[in-house]
Amino acid sequence: MKHARILATALAVSLIPIAAGAQSMSPMRGEVNSFTDAFAVRVFPANPYDQKIKVEVHVYDQDFQPVDARISPSVFQLGAQASRPVLVVVPFGGAAERKVRICTESIPFPNQQTQIRAQICGKFFGHRKS
Amino acid sequence: MKLFRATIGAALLVASLGETASATTQNVIFNGTITPTCTLVIATNGTMTVSPDLQSLSSHNSGGSAGTVTLTTTGGVSLSVDPVTTTTVPSADTTSTTWTPTYSAAGAHSIVETGSATAITTPGADLVSVNLAGTKGGSNRFANGNYQATVTLRCE
Repeated sequence: MKHARILATALAVSLIPIAAGAQSMSPMRGEVNSFTDAFAVRVFPANPYDQKIKVEVHVYDQDFQPVDARISPSVFQLGAQASRPVLVVVPFGGAAERKVRICTESIPFPNQQTQIRAQICGKFFGHRKS
Repeated sequence: MKLFRATIGAALLVASLGETASATTQNVIFNGTITPTCTLVIATNGTMTVSPDLQSLSSHNSGGSAGTVTLTTTGGVSLSVDPVTTTTVPSADTTSTTWTPTYSAAGAHSIVETGSATAITTPGADLVSVNLAGTKGGSNRFANGNYQATVTLRCE
């Protein structure tokens, strides 16, 4: 029984990077029903580079205005080919539904004349149920 | 007793030889769903050079180079660039500059250079070239010093 648990844990750990490998952020679409004043989304930013990068997660509304959401963590270092979960809690702000963009941004090569900021945004739709 | 057991066993074995093995088949169903996915990998940043009349600082000018990004997608996404908001200019440059970011793509999808959003409906990989042009009007000129600008390439 003990061996089975160890094997199951090893399999779970080994499957995580395979499932998340080479994606910048997943999922990129989602619809959430919530019975509270906020809805939560878990996204998985990934680093497709062979070097460590700094990743920032931001939440915007449909007009790309910042949304006062709780993001944990919002800024972090991500190792080469690694991925990690980020929990985003978006308040409805009194509305019955809310559309937001959750964006993962990274700047791997600083100190160049023209920097390119790669931004992967997912669209998420929260419905408040009563 | 021993002989009896052996005889019974042999009889059962012989009887079972005439039976055909019954085989059944069952289908095992595998389902998979892929939601829209996009990966952007920055290969190179760009370089801008100034025009002879000093009114254009652009990656399109002679000696300049576009930034390159590899895009891999399932399709069902949109590619765009944001207006440039983050720039660093030398202190001697006190006049305004109009920054215009554009991009083009070659590979699975062919996107002619544009500053507008492009819907990508089919899967594939592309090399995206990102260009940036800064222009000054009237009698204004770019000044001596270091310029830096950040272009946001978005896949959503």
